[in-house]
Amino acid sequence: MHVIRLAIRNAAGNSFRSWMVFFCAALMAGFVISATLVIRGADDSLRLALERLGADIIVIPEGHERRLESALLMGIPVHCWMPDIIVDEVAALPGVVAVSPQIYLSTLRGAICCSLPELFLIAYDPATDFTIRPWLELNLDAGLALGETVGGSFVYVPAGEDKLLVYGYELDLKANLEPTGTGLDQSLFFTLETAYDIARLSDEYAVKVMDIPPRTVSSVLVKVGRDADVHQVAQLIEAEIPGVTPLETNKLFKDQREQILSLLHSVVALLVITWLLAMALIAVVFSLAVNERRRQMGVMRALGARRGTVLQSVLIEAWLLALSGGLAGIGVSTLAISLFQRAIIAVMNVPFLFPPPLRLAGLSFGALAMALSGVTLAVLVPAVRISLQDPAMSMRE
Amino acid sequence: MKVAAVAIVALAILIAIIPIFSDCESQGRTLTLENGRQVSMKCHWTARAELALGVPLLAVGGLLAFSRRKETRRNLGIMGAVLGAVVILMPTALIGVCVNPDMPCVGIMKPALILLGVLMVAINLAVVVRSLGQEDEAA
Repeated sequence: MHVIRLAIRNAAGNSFRSWMVFFCAALMAGFVISATLVIRGADDSLRLALERLGADIIVIPEGHERRLESALLMGIPVHCWMPDIIVDEVAALPGVVAVSPQIYLSTLRGAICCSLPELFLIAYDPATDFTIRPWLELNLDAGLALGETVGGSFVYVPAGEDKLLVYGYELDLKANLEPTGTGLDQSLFFTLETAYDIARLSDEYAVKVMDIPPRTVSSVLVKVGRDADVHQVAQLIEAEIPGVTPLETNKLFKDQREQILSLLHSVVALLVITWLLAMALIAVVFSLAVNERRRQMGVMRALGARRGTVLQSVLIEAWLLALSGGLAGIGVSTLAISLFQRAIIAVMNVPFLFPPPLRLAGLSFGALAMALSGVTLAVLVPAVRISLQDPAMSMRE
Repeated sequence: MKVAAVAIVALAILIAIIPIFSDCESQGRTLTLENGRQVSMKCHWTARAELALGVPLLAVGGLLAFSRRKETRRNLGIMGAVLGAVVILMPTALIGVCVNPDMPCVGIMKPALILLGVLMVAINLAVVVRSLGQEDEAA
């Protein structure tokens, strides 16, 4: 107890030095937690988006690969069409066990007929769907009926209204999907029947007609049999059906993955430099502090304090400063990352998902432990040196 | 206490300046009425209010740097914490920002003000706590 009180007094005694160590610890812990949150958040987001897609292969018209990725990742709507006969052609190929068509649409940007800014709309076929239905069965008793929709986590009914307005058509928002941090969070899902009904009535209610070319679909989602190889089936689709591109979902978002990887390399390099500099600074600060306190330590030893007590008092002082600095750094960094999520997505052009509280607590604990061990390493040399010094020599100097 | 005073002054300057460059009007976005007239969106008025809040906060920081009496520090700390809370309330409850999540005021101005407000409240509360157990400084 006396050692802790002594450490607190020593820390309060020279506020400039204490602030230096506090800021270094805050920087070390804050940097670790920020880097981990951003990189893990982007990675989790990509993984969840792929899980949400639920298909092994997505077949789309040739030349729309990048735009589809932008739509799925950033919610930038894509419009592409191919003949619906392709659905049957894909289903007939060996290795394919299920196919389901989808139509991609978007709301009008800033139009008075729409209660939401430009949204990515996905119409699916409830008879064949195997991607949305499992989620719907878990969260809604029945599937979606005509005029009903489910939205991503960002979709909401505007205040004062009870329906979503899309092309002048009133949609009943039945539920919201779990957040993924991707464009799917700002997407609306409804049945093909609802899509055709919106298109039919848009001529009357909307400033612009929703155009769905007859006998067309935007994409075909493909599920491959357990024994079949996804890559081989994709190659077969490419060879057998002209004018389409089969996208293997496990190879989607390649650019974003590479971007995350390069970000990881840069962050690790920066992290190492920052840590080395911060540790060097803390070591210098503590070397100065223990040099100034040689007499105090000498008196302590002469009064009967053991070497371990002297070592303890220096280490506890460092730990107290590291703990408070680390907690402050983690708190501020976490708050900043959570507040600036949208700006991070926009600047880095990668999706981002903030971790759930339990994982956040684990990450924070890890960052704090790393900051504490970093500070301990930096302080260890001056602390051991002063504890080994002869008390008579210390007092004489 | 000097460190806290410097931090409060720096935060006050940021609170006053950041909204000026991150509200929608600064990015050339205004509301166009049916008669063609262009009017400012509410984030612009939040930015103005934050500018007004930055000035007393700057004064709190300045006065704290030169104050020697612990009662003065405590009162300045309480005032700074209250003003810091108002910094948070302006974009979230009192005036607000635009509804569209793609607007710069939602993506940058609002989170920046919440973060700066939280830091302002935390530092001022620390000043209050510290002043409770401190002696007056000699002149």
